[in-house]
Amino acid sequence: MKIDDEKIRNIGISAHIDSGKTTLTERILFYTKRIHAIHDVKGKDGVGATMDSMELEKERGITIASAATYCEWKNYEINIIDTPGHVDFTIEVERSLRVLDGAILVLCAVGGVQSQSITVDLQMKRYKVPCIAFINKCDRSGANPFRVISQLRSKLGHNAVAMQIPIGLETEAEGVVDLVSMKALYFDGDNGETVRAEEIPANLLEEAKAKREELIDAASLFSDELTEAILEEKEIPPDLLYSAIRKGTLKREITPVYMGSAYKNKAIQPLLDGVSYLLPCPSEVENVALDMGKNEEPVTLDNDPEKPIVALAFKLEDGKYGQLTYIRVYQGTVAKGSTIVNVRSGKKVKVGRVVRMHADQMEDVEYLRSGYIGALFGIECSSGDTFVSPGINLTMTSMYVPNPVISLAIEPKDNKSQIAMAKALNRFSKEDPTFKTFVDPETNETIIEGMGELHLDIYVERMRREYGAEVTTGNPRVAYRETITLRADFNYTHKKQTGGAGQFGRIAGYIEPVSDAEFVFENKIFGGAIPTQYIPACEKGFKQSMQKGPKLEFPITGVKVVINDGAYHAVDSSDMAFQAAARGAFKEAYLRAKPVIHEPIMKVVIETPPEFQGPVMGLLNQRRGMIVGSQDEGIMCVIESQVPLAEMFGFSTVLRSSTQGKAQFTMEFAHYRQVPQSIAEKIALEVAQNKKSAA
Amino acid sequence: MLKKEIIYRNPLVNLGYEHEDILSNGGLGAVLAHAGVGKTALLVQVALNMMIREKSVLHLSLQDAVKKVDLWYHELFHNIAANFSEAEIQEYWDKIQPYRFIMTFRVESFNVATMEERLTDLMQQNIFKPHTVIIDGIKFDEAGRGQLVLLKELAKKYAMRIWFTVHAHRHESPAENGLPVSFLHVADLFDVIVQLEAKGDEVYIKSLKGKPSGTKPHTLLLDPATMLIKDSQVGS
Repeated sequence: MKIDDEKIRNIGISAHIDSGKTTLTERILFYTKRIHAIHDVKGKDGVGATMDSMELEKERGITIASAATYCEWKNYEINIIDTPGHVDFTIEVERSLRVLDGAILVLCAVGGVQSQSITVDLQMKRYKVPCIAFINKCDRSGANPFRVISQLRSKLGHNAVAMQIPIGLETEAEGVVDLVSMKALYFDGDNGETVRAEEIPANLLEEAKAKREELIDAASLFSDELTEAILEEKEIPPDLLYSAIRKGTLKREITPVYMGSAYKNKAIQPLLDGVSYLLPCPSEVENVALDMGKNEEPVTLDNDPEKPIVALAFKLEDGKYGQLTYIRVYQGTVAKGSTIVNVRSGKKVKVGRVVRMHADQMEDVEYLRSGYIGALFGIECSSGDTFVSPGINLTMTSMYVPNPVISLAIEPKDNKSQIAMAKALNRFSKEDPTFKTFVDPETNETIIEGMGELHLDIYVERMRREYGAEVTTGNPRVAYRETITLRADFNYTHKKQTGGAGQFGRIAGYIEPVSDAEFVFENKIFGGAIPTQYIPACEKGFKQSMQKGPKLEFPITGVKVVINDGAYHAVDSSDMAFQAAARGAFKEAYLRAKPVIHEPIMKVVIETPPEFQGPVMGLLNQRRGMIVGSQDEGIMCVIESQVPLAEMFGFSTVLRSSTQGKAQFTMEFAHYRQVPQSIAEKIALEVAQNKKSAA
Repeated sequence: MLKKEIIYRNPLVNLGYEHEDILSNGGLGAVLAHAGVGKTALLVQVALNMMIREKSVLHLSLQDAVKKVDLWYHELFHNIAANFSEAEIQEYWDKIQPYRFIMTFRVESFNVATMEERLTDLMQQNIFKPHTVIIDGIKFDEAGRGQLVLLKELAKKYAMRIWFTVHAHRHESPAENGLPVSFLHVADLFDVIVQLEAKGDEVYIKSLKGKPSGTKPHTLLLDPATMLIKDSQVGS
């Protein structure tokens, strides 16, 4: 049975930090009557925006974790995921996009398409999420929505078309002209809740007509009926125009652009109409799962509530009543009391409470049908786990998870904090796959790893606030790696005779650099110089050696090991002996293979007013940064560079003070690159000192 | 090895411009062609030739974003180095990339004073001192002679050489010397002028000014897919 899901929208709100997406969400919830008062992100009333449910987010004015909520607009059910804007938390954005059918790309009318918008847009492309754009902050000084539209075209390659034109900008922003209905819309009442449609002011009529022509032109590519109507010079009904734009939007070949000001309560209702009319319903989006039983063969899911369940846990939160698991149901119906299986662990679980979320408040429901987003209580799982009906063996496509690039040692101040810290770390690493934690066996320190300084910083603060764990932190450490640059031969004999059974094994061969793999092992032994049963032991021994370089103790990557000769003893040879021989052989060859250190290089993009371009480039240069280029964007200039992560600590403070707080930057991992000799020597010295002090 | 390959495939050297830099200090060079024939690709090859000789190139684009310009370099470098392993290509690229700086301006906001201001920003802090500048996207019919005279002075002042892409319009028939009519008023400022011409499926590169007399051919054939010299003509 197919359900009528035409009126369901699962959407995300993605944007650059500070472009006002949380405020926008707040207004949407107000106009859809999910909340009855408006609180601003950094509002004076101290309540904070509804979607920023974490205390920390309220204080910093940024959104860290996605909060899911649902609302109704003109009989459409809209599930909204509010996504974070800072690049350190992109795993959250990626997870949200994975479960969404459409998105609103929020842009600032002054700042335009900023670096983070480019990252978010790339992610939307990766998951083929259709989107509409909303140009916010049209009330700000310097607002120019048409410049932003041209940036959407030139920088992001969107076929962006205006659905509206503004009636006044900056302090004179009054409303918008809707180019589909050709009406001027004003927003009356204390909170702009009453939409008043009037005739278009005479001074805007010509512009409105011209822009409507552009809109119709762009839309006509997607509808023969519309093209016919244009050719026959007929009146174009709104439904026909919407349906053509919708077709283009779903194919991601057209991006309808709305505009307004969330803060001043202007033009949010037409945006909600846009979400309803133009973004896809769940059955219009193809979702693919992998069949674990058939070698991960892709299976297209059917948005049918009667079919077996396939649901994805995309976010976990630790609430007052235990773990809250956010799920998106792709197929079937997850009902209270039904049994589902966690595909990863194979565990069967009975569904207890099923809820729909409204920021941090919840509403109990009986079931969640396919296409819906909601949350379950009391389900033990990790984020990214797939839940299915018993007997089904499907998993949702695994999400791309980058490796952490930075680590930090943390130490609890007292016993109480230690228990709280353990709890917190367990929770965070379950919630966020890019956050990892382990105990260093040598120093006994607890190490946390993540995607950037701010990423780890936020978790340390969350530990303090949410779990009461007082911890002290060490200096952040960069995840260096070692690799070799030359081929080196080895011929090593491991021999021990200390009474009782002896140990004997000889391995010969060579190691050489390999660029496209972390570790390759090749057995070229013919004639049984080493019996086949000991070959896995040799491989294991070499692999163990890769975990830590013999000198600097960083993990080793990019090594190919070839063994081509050896010897064994009928009595004294064993797995243990060959493992030890392999470790010895690796050590023998490694230093002769001219090892080097590789460090993570970050792609750093800085947006600054042109007058600070010189100082900003100076800052990057001081940090061993390589400037790829600078791009003139009118009021702003964008500098693209590659900088070693090790040099980026504390950069935000320095950047702020050098640019009077007017520049901002984003940073993401780019690749590993060899460190220069002088820096390698410094690192070696530091490692030696650390070892000494640990001893 | 990779360095040799790039030098070996340099279209301008193959055309007979034997001086390594082709242009001397303060010299101006132009690559003329209709839209889409490969002006940028040719100048990126000129730039790569400088970069492998550890000479810095400032690539100034008035039409493309930094990312797109960077892509040009990556594509051409990979095409030239197609016979080498990915690791070698990456290693060599990492070595030469610091010799390139991309700067983009909007056509309307570009002027020589701003360019000099940006340049001094870079040079004073020892971040980058260009040996060669490539300016892609100046409109010669609109940019008066004045701007070019200023650029020539700038090139002399900072001991640089500047290459330009010149867009020849299809509707415009050339003057007797083969130069577009709209370019004649500034042609005397240029020391070297080469032309790219598409004939059917082939692209020819032709020297119009500044080529020393020698045995090398006046015309070379480029592969339109890669914009590299056709194998049969390398070193001819």
